[in-house]
Amino acid sequence: MERILEQIPRFFSGPNMILLLESAGLTLAMTLMGCLIGFGLAFVLVYLRQTPGLWALPLRLVCILYVEVFRRIPFIVVVYLVLFFIQTVTPNASLFTIAVIAICLYAVAYTADIIRGGLESVPQAQVEAAQAMNLSRLQTNLRIVLPQAWPVIVPPAIAFAVSFIKDTALVSQVGVFELTFRGKELNNQGYSGILVFGTIALCYFLMSFPLSMLGQYLEKRLATPRGQRRSRKIWFT
Amino acid sequence: MNYNFQFGVVWDNYPALLEGAWLTFQLGCIAFGGGAIIGLICAALKTYGPWPIRLLVDSYVVFITNTPALIQIYFLYFGLPEVGVRWSNEACLLIGLTLNAGAYLTLILRAGFLSVRITEIEAGQTLGMSLLQQVRYIIVPHIAKSIYPALANFFIVVLVMGTSVGALIGVDELTGQAINLSSVNYRWLEYFTVVAGMYVVLTFVASIGLALLGRWAFRVKARIF
Repeated sequence: MERILEQIPRFFSGPNMILLLESAGLTLAMTLMGCLIGFGLAFVLVYLRQTPGLWALPLRLVCILYVEVFRRIPFIVVVYLVLFFIQTVTPNASLFTIAVIAICLYAVAYTADIIRGGLESVPQAQVEAAQAMNLSRLQTNLRIVLPQAWPVIVPPAIAFAVSFIKDTALVSQVGVFELTFRGKELNNQGYSGILVFGTIALCYFLMSFPLSMLGQYLEKRLATPRGQRRSRKIWFT
Repeated sequence: MNYNFQFGVVWDNYPALLEGAWLTFQLGCIAFGGGAIIGLICAALKTYGPWPIRLLVDSYVVFITNTPALIQIYFLYFGLPEVGVRWSNEACLLIGLTLNAGAYLTLILRAGFLSVRITEIEAGQTLGMSLLQQVRYIIVPHIAKSIYPALANFFIVVLVMGTSVGALIGVDELTGQAINLSSVNYRWLEYFTVVAGMYVVLTFVASIGLALLGRWAFRVKARIF
């Protein structure tokens, strides 16, 4: 205990804090890039998955299989697979790129389901009406379905991105200089584990908590009147 | 890209991988079970407890759900020995995961608690049901129906995302075994491809089992896909 107290001034010195700030920025950048690209690709995936017609059956199957498989593989395994695969293809790829690709692959699978749920929440009659107006499938999706689906898609997508800030901690294992990696490094330099990992946990908390609050606020703000029904407490008598 | 896949090595070591998968399954079940107990207690306290206890539960949930499981486990693994608490790798993983799962399950179970409508309980009372009967015929079916899919989904998350963290502190579960084995002969791609497939099979079996259980016990239609 005295050891920890004695380390505190040294630990919270300028250079250490700058290091932590940098790695926190890296964590955020990684998550943001991965999730944004993944979100975009997920739209494409959902669009492909909804292709009608018998000829597109293999395409639909591949899309479904992709989502199902990636939701069932741990992130760390995906990271290792991407790392070794990319390094066999191009040995010079940076670790940051590899991490972003892994996050992307994973984010596509998770957000695809969120987006599909959002698109399916729009009443089918609207799609049929759009067809009757002779709009193409892309037009129907972009002009009719998507504008109405946003309120359903955005809050869980933000929640997912926030939860992914935490999951990127696993990327430290392949040597990206993000928060967890710095934590291990500082711990190896002899700083107390309680102090280091407590601080790192606090850093993650400071990033994740405001964003999850934003997500909850948006969820309330964008909710349909149907979803705003006040939940009632029960009591046992 | 000129890389020759050699799956023979993986096949030679399949008992180790199966052992890892079994350990993964056990760890997942224990962490989820422990988490469910914590979650049940915390959700009940949060719904019915006095405000200081509610505040305590809230801060537990908010702090755990906003920090990575890996950091929590590192804290137990690297931090606690300094104050004289020494646990084995498995114990650190299990305690960390249980605490982590407990926080998420508190949220899920609380949503279930809130889904029971007071009018239905009143209707039960009108019919002369005892408290036990109310729990058996009104509250549990209601809670089960509204949160069973979320619970089944979360079990898969614990089984996959949760236990795989153990590989980083040297627990020999499925991912850990893959890392151990592939650092012997550098067949990383092959090992991890096979391990990914094993995870898919493992969780798929678990999903089907949970869907059947839900249908049999609570008449819930849980989705497998």
